[in-house]
Amino acid sequence: MKLKQILMATTAAVSLLASGAVMANEGHGPALKHAEINVTDQTQIQRGLTVFTDVCMGCHSAKYITYKGLIDYPEIGITREQADELRGSHPLAAGMISDLNPEDAKVSYGKVPPDLSIITNARRGGANYVYSLLTGFEHDPSGKVTDGNFNEYFPGNRIAMPDPLSWLGHDASETEELEQQAEDVAAFLAFIADPHQNERRVIGCWVVGFLLLLTLVLWRLKVEVWKDVKH
Amino acid sequence: MLEKMMKTRLFAWVDERTGAEAIIKSQLTEYPVPKNLNYMWNFGSLALLVLVLQILTGIFLAMYYKPSAALTMGGYTVAFDSVERIMRDVNFGWLIRYMHAVGASAFFVVVYMHIGRGLYYGSYKGPRELLWIIGVVILLIMQGAAFFGYLLPWGQMSFWGATVITNLFGALPVLGEYLQQLLRGGFAVGDPTLNRFFSLHYLFPLLLVAIVGGHVHALHVVHSNNPEGIDVHGDDQKINFHPYYTVKDAFGVGIFLTIYCYVIFFNPQMGGYFIEVDNYVPANNLQTPPHIAPVWYLTPWYTILRSFESKLLGVLMMGGSLAILFLLPFLDRSKVRSARYRPVFKQMVLLFFVCVIVLGYCGHSAPTPTLKLVGQIATAYYFLFFFALLILPKFEKTKPVPDHI
Repeated sequence: MKLKQILMATTAAVSLLASGAVMANEGHGPALKHAEINVTDQTQIQRGLTVFTDVCMGCHSAKYITYKGLIDYPEIGITREQADELRGSHPLAAGMISDLNPEDAKVSYGKVPPDLSIITNARRGGANYVYSLLTGFEHDPSGKVTDGNFNEYFPGNRIAMPDPLSWLGHDASETEELEQQAEDVAAFLAFIADPHQNERRVIGCWVVGFLLLLTLVLWRLKVEVWKDVKH
Repeated sequence: MLEKMMKTRLFAWVDERTGAEAIIKSQLTEYPVPKNLNYMWNFGSLALLVLVLQILTGIFLAMYYKPSAALTMGGYTVAFDSVERIMRDVNFGWLIRYMHAVGASAFFVVVYMHIGRGLYYGSYKGPRELLWIIGVVILLIMQGAAFFGYLLPWGQMSFWGATVITNLFGALPVLGEYLQQLLRGGFAVGDPTLNRFFSLHYLFPLLLVAIVGGHVHALHVVHSNNPEGIDVHGDDQKINFHPYYTVKDAFGVGIFLTIYCYVIFFNPQMGGYFIEVDNYVPANNLQTPPHIAPVWYLTPWYTILRSFESKLLGVLMMGGSLAILFLLPFLDRSKVRSARYRPVFKQMVLLFFVCVIVLGYCGHSAPTPTLKLVGQIATAYYFLFFFALLILPKFEKTKPVPDHI
């Protein structure tokens, strides 16, 4: 009987977790593509920064990341000269703000482009979502949505952002490069969403390792203290 | 070590003025505890630990957090910006903030285990009725504190969660609308709401500390129940709290901290369960998120609310589902405490645990007709469980209870 109950509870818990995993992955359409990103890889993040400043920042900001941050975070680590070139007349301590002002954006695109500082945390699927979206522009099968505004990974498929990497109708020889650009910018965005994440994981190994040892010691202590208690 | 310390002249000086020795003896070194407590009895000390961690991390977060819904660039607010500032610019702010956010969920995990243990082994029965009732008060205040705290980052789920919950008060007759406006500080959730929720989020933990003190005091008057659920007499069946249960609790703390830190350092959002994805989107009163759900620890009660077509009835039943916990010691009149010796109760209480998990799952998911029906059945069982306890002793054949442990 007891075994049956344990099995029942375990089944319930596992199915709950499984459904949670499904939900975490839940898109409004096809399953997301997997982005090969490495948030500790400085070269990938720097390439992503270039895509971000050359393409995304035409409309999007990342206000929580300052030009100084681009120098200071070792994972980005650009030089002062590079930062000066990027910031133009903006102060070093300013966030990365797009030159497109929100009113003009509304006129041109019908909405204000969201800030991208924490976008990978704010969308289900995170970096995979960003990568899929950038490489998800298609012709609308029903022909209703104009080219450049139909994206198979966007909820509802009609997206205000016009195909930033010119994915739609690209030459087959460019596929690899465009995918690489999408992955790189996804890596950059995943990094800036939580810029202390690498430090966190490194410290975490020491903390959890220490706690495992401490727990082992406490367990032996408990056994030692309790050995004279008869049951 | 403790004994050595208690022999010093300094301790004698303190003891003369405070009676410290008598307190240490009666509450620790000579406080008798049944020797057969299993690891389910570890969760009380863990809850106390998490409470302390939440208060400490909260004090430091409040040094940097700014409760203001004033808009800043990009549709964000001063409050949201201040949280991101903590995450990015404050030294180890990310650690303190993740400790606090994960701590909220950890608190409920630990407290729900603690309550489940009390249910299973009949710890709510005489003479521990008041101990249980104080515990339910603690649960309610915790839920309140968690709800107030969730508004503070001023994300989409903060805003819409607070809107939905404060809306509920509006469903109450006569005073409803007044209560709703009082909570919100206006006609809609906005800057005044954020300010009063911040104030209340600081107040409630102070209440918790006081009431937890009462809970521990009440425990030390009536003493711990045990897995057999019998009264324990005789010195050979009891051991002193210190050192036996202090080391056992310390071992439990080691296991807990390992898991807690693993989550903090490697998976702080817990796939959207501990920090919801939508809460990284700044609050926008013009755009409702596609699916509004509270954080996991409040979802069972959210399902009960949603199981009724009438909003008023839903609100009353949700309140009732919590209020009925107060009545539990008086509904269940069986003389036998532990589920070990109550075969029918054992099945019922295990099904009750499954039922609460199902309720939680339904409340977390986007509503579908099937899930709604499942939620309604689970809601029905939730209440049935308590009322069936009224008549259960009339036909349940309990197993013979041992006279010692």
